[in-house]
Amino acid sequence: MTPRKDLLDIASLSNEEIEFVLANAAPFKDLFRRSVKKVPPLRGRTVLTLFYEPSTRTRSSFEVAASRLSADVTHFDVELSSVVKGESILDTVETLEAMQLDYIVVRHKQAGIPNLIARNTAASVINAGDGWHAHPTQALLDAFTAREVLQDLNGRKALIVGDIQHSRVARSTSLIFRRLGMDVAYLAPGSLMPRQIPDEIQTFGNWQDAFDWTPDIVYLLRVQSERLDEPFFPSATEYHNNFGLTDARLKVLSDRKLWLMHPGPVNRGVEITDAGMNYERSLINQQVENGIAVRMSVLYWLRPGAAPAV
Amino acid sequence: MKRLYKNAQIASADSPKLQTADVLVEGDRIIGVAASINDAADAELIDCTGCVLLPALFDIHVHAREPGQEQKENIASCAEAAINGGVTGFIMMPNTTPAIDNAGVVRTVLESARRTRIGASIYTAGAITKGRRGEELAGIAAMKNAGAVLLTDDGFPVDNPQVLRRAMEYARDHDLPLASHCEVKELSGKGSMHEGSVSYSLGLPGIPSISEEICIARDIRLAEFTGTHLNIQHVTTARGMDTIWRAKQRGIRVTCEIAPHHLMFNHEDIGDFDTHYKMNPPLRTKEDNAALLEGLIAGKFDVIATDHAPHTPFEKNQDFASAPFGITGLETALVSLYDRYIAKGIFGWDVIVKHYSAQPRTLFKLPTVPITEGGTAEFIVFNPNRSTTFRREFMKSKSLNTPFLDKELQGHIERVIYRGEELLAR
Repeated sequence: MTPRKDLLDIASLSNEEIEFVLANAAPFKDLFRRSVKKVPPLRGRTVLTLFYEPSTRTRSSFEVAASRLSADVTHFDVELSSVVKGESILDTVETLEAMQLDYIVVRHKQAGIPNLIARNTAASVINAGDGWHAHPTQALLDAFTAREVLQDLNGRKALIVGDIQHSRVARSTSLIFRRLGMDVAYLAPGSLMPRQIPDEIQTFGNWQDAFDWTPDIVYLLRVQSERLDEPFFPSATEYHNNFGLTDARLKVLSDRKLWLMHPGPVNRGVEITDAGMNYERSLINQQVENGIAVRMSVLYWLRPGAAPAV
Repeated sequence: MKRLYKNAQIASADSPKLQTADVLVEGDRIIGVAASINDAADAELIDCTGCVLLPALFDIHVHAREPGQEQKENIASCAEAAINGGVTGFIMMPNTTPAIDNAGVVRTVLESARRTRIGASIYTAGAITKGRRGEELAGIAAMKNAGAVLLTDDGFPVDNPQVLRRAMEYARDHDLPLASHCEVKELSGKGSMHEGSVSYSLGLPGIPSISEEICIARDIRLAEFTGTHLNIQHVTTARGMDTIWRAKQRGIRVTCEIAPHHLMFNHEDIGDFDTHYKMNPPLRTKEDNAALLEGLIAGKFDVIATDHAPHTPFEKNQDFASAPFGITGLETALVSLYDRYIAKGIFGWDVIVKHYSAQPRTLFKLPTVPITEGGTAEFIVFNPNRSTTFRREFMKSKSLNTPFLDKELQGHIERVIYRGEELLAR
């Protein structure tokens, strides 16, 4: 396995790399049961989180992961910085470059920004979500979580439900699930279903057909109201009635013992109900915990000067 | 002084066959074209063995960026870039700052053009509407009197069909063609590339083909209704091309352009968010490439035009959505068309001469420059056996935003002759 500088998307990873990251996440997760959760591999390394889009959860997850590996963690406060004065991204990167950081964890509302930064810095760039493009650490933690409950994913089925069009989670998680042998289907209103998706992904327009497909995992996406600047559906209520996990649909999950996932944060009453949040096979909290372990594994894997892994 | 271009292969618009001949030039005229000219002892001898002589090119779609965007290009650098690519005349687009939307600006840019080495052959378009805002008609008659040869809001469509109808009626009465950048802006939205499989995987908002196709259909219908000569700029889809072709067969006065990049590249070339493949209208699909190429060979396009659109490295070195649309084309068009098509036998030299030299001039009632006795000496000496590497030092444009940067392509422009004068010899 050749050493890699950046983690920008799932598509460019080899299966070997995916397995390497997932395999190393397990021992990191075991640490969380100890009273001292910190290990030394990144001592003296600096991790900077550069978030151009608000995200408490992902940012905290990275910061906790980096701290548990003994790295120094700094947050570049975009709101207060010169970014608001119109400084270009590359000017910012040049400034950061002078600080000789080891990692830059970046989130941005435009697709491809992490790729642009990665081409212009010696630091390892980790994409923490860029536009509708990719969210590779989310995909890795989803795969790790799915394996915890299903073991071998080969031949299993995941139904991803919601705003596929604007979802980097749908793109990245569907990729990794398929890499690990799963079948993936999308369920979305036509207005939020991209017209050209890979042939291997089935599409459904209603829950009945989707249930008939017999998924093992139902993965709900957040309705990104902040990204919906056009009328993609008439109202949140109508969305809930047609595409949300209503109590009646939750009962189908329960009867069939299906697993429920969601990348968070949820919109209660839109894609999910209170009852759904308390569903016994909900993996939502497990996803959060695994997020830290998987991000530790990613940071460890990309550590500067790392010898090719065996 | 006379110059004798000895043993050349002459290209023409009429036949893919090249004719071996000597060409004798005196002053600005071709005074002899014959199988063998041996009685010109006083002429400078230029051995053209193995080289193709073709009429110099004319590009009807060029962004010279003057006034106001001189960090990208100015008319002087644009003229040199044109010469570097064998283009000895072009039409400037009016999306400058301020827009070329009144007689004063028209006169200013033409004055600037006159100071270049191909000054007499640089023309300008004027905007259809004031500030290219699509609201009020620009001073069309005054711009025509000042020398504008075309009306367009290029870069934008005229959204309001009533405004476009009035503009067409006005253009018709002033005998000016009107060129449309076809796009329904609401359908394009925030799109930065073709809506398709690649926009899905890159997570970029897409510009659907229907955005262009619907506007083509609308504008043609308006042109038919008003009887105006409409030129559809940079056609990118098979369906758009077919719509235009059907309109032509019905006798509607519509012409259209194909840009080399829409023949050669498609959305898959964007790869890792490479902004050198970002233009508007966007690169479409492989299937569109094939259909457009077939269309060009079948004569469905009137002209090849580059939509030469310079942008600085700083502007292009942004994320894909933020980077501006457009690539340069003047310097690379001929060599790339040779490399991709003529060298491979996909089409002959006649396609280039017809669509990139003769018809663009005819469209604007300008004399063509075939290589014939008594004609204007305005031609290119092209060496198919040499290659060209489009290095920074080679380029004369102020900008380098082309996918061909640092690429080596087959074919080399050795000489460019403009009205008898050798503007370039290498």
